[in-house]
Amino acid sequence: MILAAGGINNSIVVVVLASAVVYGTPLLYAALGELLAERAGVLNLGVEGMMLVGAVMGFWAVQRIGNLALSIAVAALAGAAMALIHAFLVVTLRANQIVSGLALTIFAGAAGLSSYLGNDLNLADQPARHAFAAVFPHSWQTTPVIGPILLQQTWLVYASWVCVALVALYLNRTRLGLNVRAVGESPAAADAMGIDVTRYRYLHTIAGGAFAGVGGATFSLAITPSWVDGLTSGAGWIAIALVIFAFWRPTLCLVGAYFFGAFSGLPFTLQSRGVTIAPELTQALPYVMTIVVLVLVSSAGARRRLGAPGALGTPYVREER
Amino acid sequence: MIRIERRLEQPRWLTIAVPIGSVVVAVGVMTIVLLVTHHPPGHTFRRLVDAAFVGQDDLNNTFVSATPLVFTGLCAAIAFRMQLFNIGGEGQLYAGAIVGAAAGLVLGNHSGWLSVPAMIAAGAAGGAALALIPALLRAFLATNEIITSLMLNYVAALVLDYLIFDSQSYWRDTSSATAKVFPQGKNLPAAANWPAAHLGGIVLPFGFLVAVVLAVLLWVLYSRTRFGFEVQVIGDSPRAASYAGMRTRRKVLAVMGLSGALAGIGGASQDGDFRHTLDPRGLSAAGYGYAGIVIAALGRYNPFAVVVIAFLIGGLQNAGYTLQGADFPSGLVGVMQGLILFCALGGELLIRYRLRLPRRRRVEAAEVVA
Amino acid sequence: MTVEPAAAAPKRAAAAAVSLQGIVKRFPGVVANDGVDFEAAEGEVHALLGENGAGKSTLSNILTGLYRPDEGEIRLYGRPVVFASPRDALDAGVCMVHQHFRLVAPFTVAENVILGDHRGEGRKFVVHPRRVERRVAELGERYRIRVDPRARVWQLSLGEQQRVEILKALYREARILILDEPTAVLTPQEADSLFETLRVMAAEGRTIVFISHKLHEVKAVSDRVTVLRAGRTVATVDTADATPRSLASLMVGRDVSGFERQERPGEPGEPVLEIDDLWAAGDRGGDALRGVGLTVRAGEIVAIAGVAGNGQRELAETVTGMRRPTRGTVAVQGRALRGGDAREAIRAGVAHVPEDRLNTGVAPSLSIASNVVLKSYRTGAVTAGPLLRLRAIREHAASLIHRYDVRGGGPELPARQLSGGNLQKVVLAREFSGAPRVLVVASPTRGLDVAAIETVHRYLREAADGGVGVLLISEDLDEILALADRVAVIYEGRIVGERPVGATTVEELGLLMAGGEERAS
Repeated sequence: MILAAGGINNSIVVVVLASAVVYGTPLLYAALGELLAERAGVLNLGVEGMMLVGAVMGFWAVQRIGNLALSIAVAALAGAAMALIHAFLVVTLRANQIVSGLALTIFAGAAGLSSYLGNDLNLADQPARHAFAAVFPHSWQTTPVIGPILLQQTWLVYASWVCVALVALYLNRTRLGLNVRAVGESPAAADAMGIDVTRYRYLHTIAGGAFAGVGGATFSLAITPSWVDGLTSGAGWIAIALVIFAFWRPTLCLVGAYFFGAFSGLPFTLQSRGVTIAPELTQALPYVMTIVVLVLVSSAGARRRLGAPGALGTPYVREER
Repeated sequence: MIRIERRLEQPRWLTIAVPIGSVVVAVGVMTIVLLVTHHPPGHTFRRLVDAAFVGQDDLNNTFVSATPLVFTGLCAAIAFRMQLFNIGGEGQLYAGAIVGAAAGLVLGNHSGWLSVPAMIAAGAAGGAALALIPALLRAFLATNEIITSLMLNYVAALVLDYLIFDSQSYWRDTSSATAKVFPQGKNLPAAANWPAAHLGGIVLPFGFLVAVVLAVLLWVLYSRTRFGFEVQVIGDSPRAASYAGMRTRRKVLAVMGLSGALAGIGGASQDGDFRHTLDPRGLSAAGYGYAGIVIAALGRYNPFAVVVIAFLIGGLQNAGYTLQGADFPSGLVGVMQGLILFCALGGELLIRYRLRLPRRRRVEAAEVVA
Repeated sequence: MTVEPAAAAPKRAAAAAVSLQGIVKRFPGVVANDGVDFEAAEGEVHALLGENGAGKSTLSNILTGLYRPDEGEIRLYGRPVVFASPRDALDAGVCMVHQHFRLVAPFTVAENVILGDHRGEGRKFVVHPRRVERRVAELGERYRIRVDPRARVWQLSLGEQQRVEILKALYREARILILDEPTAVLTPQEADSLFETLRVMAAEGRTIVFISHKLHEVKAVSDRVTVLRAGRTVATVDTADATPRSLASLMVGRDVSGFERQERPGEPGEPVLEIDDLWAAGDRGGDALRGVGLTVRAGEIVAIAGVAGNGQRELAETVTGMRRPTRGTVAVQGRALRGGDAREAIRAGVAHVPEDRLNTGVAPSLSIASNVVLKSYRTGAVTAGPLLRLRAIREHAASLIHRYDVRGGGPELPARQLSGGNLQKVVLAREFSGAPRVLVVASPTRGLDVAAIETVHRYLREAADGGVGVLLISEDLDEILALADRVAVIYEGRIVGERPVGATTVEELGLLMAGGEERAS
């Protein structure tokens, strides 16, 4: 039976799906975070920067402290700290959200703070002291089909599923979630009903940063347990696209993340099978598809139905005439 | 709590003071960071300035770094003025580099001097063509241009990689021995190398001069012509523009096309001025497009300010490359750029709003309803 | 007759539910409230009357915790309170129905009702929509405010949206309810039914603060009236003792005639604007105009009456070329326009004073000079080739500022810094300088003070006297009856009736505005 499973488990579909889950997980965390911020009306284009800082601090923590759970917490804190800068600029100082997000990526990203920290803390070329490993025993992992795809994964993968469920329940079923959506749709209405728009925007932007930090740490603690400058290689931007791709819905983020993850893992899988297809072509697909989805959702009516927050990207100012 | 009030009038001096103040604050914060991480701040900053602006070679290198930044800065500035958030300068620069290199390769061996203007035109066309994708989607399908132009950056980068690393394209060098091991682009013929102006020992790249001329033309276009008037109105209130019978769609296409063309010329200048080949790694490592947005924002979308700030940021970047190594904190330049921009964004608030400490409340004893 | 404030001051009611003393609120460049005193008792409907800009909205925003006063004291039921946020005010039982509704469009009615509630059903961490829906349905039953709790707000008419706002207040058991200009979106009949609801609520011991600048409404619904003028309290009077005339003079500070109709001599000329079977889509899809037909002759003022949101905005936009018709034609002086082309309409002589004067009528951040050439910047007078003649533009602006008496600043002043009345003068100056044949004006006096309203009305009459065909779109029946020669009523995108102004009544128009069938005419 194990032999038979080996056959199926080596089939291209299973391998691609397994790598989709692996590469989709950091995207999922980052996209969930961005989704929280955007649902509260804050567009944060600094995801890449926040992920990189999360990656470097997470790796530093594991080298220094050695505890993986704590390292994830450190990564989340680091991402949250970066997001706090953005929140202060766009919520309190009402700066342009696009420019501020880009500034955050330049400030924190490759050739910025993450690189400064990584080099200053001597993290390059260090072997990781610990890394996330598969949760379940090896014998489970050889289960046909679901073994490699679902049972061979790390805690980070399973935790991300819990996060998706929690975020979805939070937004759709709880009082706080209702408030968040109101703040993102119509801050004036929320404000008039006694909801503190500023606080909600701060908290969700910061929570978004924390998720991005965890997403970054997924790279440095699980996928490639090490640190090199710019190791997320654009995952943050894909995460931003993913939120739109998923119509601002957590559950669709899960699907989208694995879909995008499949494409980033696909070239390696194909290469190992001797199939030579230019990796650029498969890698470009997620971006092109995001554009297609954007076009499909761009009519105002469609946007409303599909859930683009009405006040996304606009500052809220109460006391002005 | 401090209160924020809209200013009735925006004082002129603040528009100068805020950028300068931003640099000062950024240097201050950076000093603290350096001290905390045990780097000597005075020494570090001196090396930074030395490597950027002191000495002929350094200054020449700064011009090299600044040239693409002027182009991408202008690219962002003129689009942002109309509230068109083209953040695709990066990809449009690649597109310009690709098409510009093709023009140089085709014409360089045959038509001599003509290949330089042809490369400029080709670069402009390449950049404009890529920019027109988000422009058309925005004009006819109301698709937000921010994300589409951003996505196209990645597509353009992948196309660039594909042409040199994973295909037998026209741009790829397939003849030389090293090219078999390390894929690289064909070298441009000598006639396709852009001339440079020598002022004493200072070498001004041709692209830089083109960029300055374009900055002047853009200033005239935006402040003195009907076209510029329409752009101002559309940028301020699209409804007022449509009320006044302005053709908003055409303007979106024209401005995005122009914006992309500027970045595209920047790409062609990379081929003709500096790299003399289509060089994917070199182009994508620098992040010219994103830096251009920062520069445009720092210059408050004024073409002249873009030139000056591109020069300063170019100096910073150049110093970053030069000083790369064990004894110089890596990433410092990005952090500095980010800090300056954060401060400038915050300072923008001072220009538009006034901060006020409210008077002490009269009713001290009043009960606060919880 | 002028009512002396001191003489008219009524006896203080037993318990002042709301008491505001010496409220001062400054905004950059304006003192919106300059020592306002206001008191309303339990169980009364108290009208807050004042011109636009008198400080009514600011005062109500202070009472609901949106603004914090710079000076002054708020007491509820005798106890001083400080509202740090709207939530404090809500918790103290103060609710407000804003002029622009504060509703979340994609949410259901029930979700909007529990939004921000942290006491009742909304206190629970997990939201149970069914229970809220039941509660909302019960409330609607009791107060006879019918609205489907599961409907999404964006699907509702403005009148229904207002009911949601009132349900919100009832759900929270508001003891003090403030309504800001609530009748603007209602037919006269709907307004009457709102007044009934308010009476029922007051009878339960609630306090209703009713903000308006319409005298007959104030007469109809309130027990007492407090009049504000230029940020100060002028008087508080018992409604029974006041006449519309006395209230008007308190409000304006001098004797006013109100909207007296001034007959204009002269017969209308040739048709200048012919609208035939005009259809157009609305912003949310669906047909906003459904076969509008109408003719305006030279020298005639034809009014379009209707409740807000029945296609008025779309009609103005379609006639002026800002919106493409899906069917039908607009012809100016006998020549059909292509449609959907504002530039062509401007060339054909269609001038337009839009409803949203700040963001459509002008580019708000640009100078007055730029805004006076907003439509003529292509013409030879101000251009030389592709270049603009900036000096000629400035001079043109300066002369218009002088001629139309625009106060507040010179040609270089950004338009947004003008007051509403002066801004409207800039718009009118520009539109008249294009020598129009047809003038489409939408809510031209909304938000203006009495003096500015008089000026605008004078310009409109002068334009008609000069042979321009004027299409006046207004939700203000008083304005229509004062200005127009003919009135057409629009309901759900159709003209449901057309009458000479002399041959109709407010009641008849109100019936038509509510969609009552046109009687055989």
